[in-house]
Amino acid sequence: MIFADIIFVIIILITLGGALMTVLSGSIIYALMGLVTTMFGVAGLYIYLNAPFLAMMQILIYVGAITVLIAFAIMLIGPLYKKPKEWSYPLKFILAAVVALFSFFVFAKVILKTQWIVLSTPFAISTKDIGRLLFDRLTFPFELISLLIVVAIIGAVMLSLYSRGEK
Amino acid sequence: MCDTINNIINIVGKEVVRTVIGLVGVFIVVLGNAIMLTWTERKVAGHIQRRIGPKEVGPFGLLQSFADSVKLLGKELLTPANVEKPLYYLAPTLIFVPVLVTFVVIPFDGFLQVKDINTGILVILAFSSLTVLSILIGGWGSDNKYSLIGAVRSVAQNIAYEIPLLLSLLPIIFMANSFSLRDVVEAQKGLWFVVYQPIAFLIFFIASVAETNRTPFDLPEAESELVAGFHTEYSGMRFSLFFLAEYTNMFIVSAIAVTFFLGGYQGPILPGVVWFFMKTYLLVFVLLWFRWTFPRVRFDQLLNFSWKILIPVSFLNLLVTGGILKL
Repeated sequence: MIFADIIFVIIILITLGGALMTVLSGSIIYALMGLVTTMFGVAGLYIYLNAPFLAMMQILIYVGAITVLIAFAIMLIGPLYKKPKEWSYPLKFILAAVVALFSFFVFAKVILKTQWIVLSTPFAISTKDIGRLLFDRLTFPFELISLLIVVAIIGAVMLSLYSRGEK
Repeated sequence: MCDTINNIINIVGKEVVRTVIGLVGVFIVVLGNAIMLTWTERKVAGHIQRRIGPKEVGPFGLLQSFADSVKLLGKELLTPANVEKPLYYLAPTLIFVPVLVTFVVIPFDGFLQVKDINTGILVILAFSSLTVLSILIGGWGSDNKYSLIGAVRSVAQNIAYEIPLLLSLLPIIFMANSFSLRDVVEAQKGLWFVVYQPIAFLIFFIASVAETNRTPFDLPEAESELVAGFHTEYSGMRFSLFFLAEYTNMFIVSAIAVTFFLGGYQGPILPGVVWFFMKTYLLVFVLLWFRWTFPRVRFDQLLNFSWKILIPVSFLNLLVTGGILKL
């Protein structure tokens, strides 16, 4: 049990360290590396919870696709890596800290208030179960998410069309 | 002697010993493969261009790659003045993580596999996306325009070609009904999947040429326009790590193609390992052949080909396969 606890602490440290690096580093590319580290930490948590499918999906989607897309966007907007830190003004830093603390307390409250069901035996959720859930019991929220994504795509296309002049 | 070994195994546990032996095997395969492929590439290139290729060092020039690697090991490690040091140093190391992880799940034979994970193919796909990340930070950290252009190109190319790569493997997962690579190979006892899924095989192979940055899709390192692309500023052993990773990636994509489409280690008479390596190196040879046959494509052609042809076709293939399997 001690061994498992040590692993858990290491995973948590990796996740938090990456998150701190994302927020506090001045250079945008280091912030991105921090984000990648956090994603790996979260994937590690999934493996710790005996959900390898989710862990692999976490790496595939968040590390492989999302951060790479962010990197691509960074490279398109130009060489920002020599720019000084954004939150060098005290006011900005205080505002950011207020927002962060507020959302932290909201999440903490929700987590503490929820009645968690503790299972006596560990269980493994298979890929098949996830598919069943998504296309059977949770079809409606699943479709709602896809609608949201379609709206986002249309919005992005509209933005890119209008920014090219010739209104 | 035997008792001592048994004692050690009992103390540290079977699983650990198995993993260590597996990793040592992986290192041997990685190094042996790279050394053999550099020689093969130069020989194949030579003969395609009506030259002979290396012939001075050893019989048929076989020791040429050893001489080259000793030279690279002995070189001074130059660090350019303005590089972003942590990123610059991290990139060649990071490019090796996906290479090593991927080898863990590839079944070389019925028993010869470091570990059979039941989400095997997801492990490969998830970690191979790290390659582009290390190319990115290498190109960015070098503080060189050529490197940066190479990195940008590589990101755009990898985003475009990862989608058809994934989509071409999905029909196989449908048919084998499993993510485990060994189950996929076992499902091909009768007929190889390439017979059922020729389109998926073609798409996978094209996309994997792009993912390994080989000609005709070698825009991230295009020698004639970008010097060496993302690894322009690297020298000595750091450069050779990139090189090693490229050759290992060629082996890996061919091994995945063999596992998913060409029956993996299955074949008559000869043992499975022999069949596996024969098929894999046949595909590697095709990759070399591509390099010396096709000219490099233009960047817009490259992206259009993926987004306008490969992705729609692979979606259609997926739809048809799913429909037929459900009937």
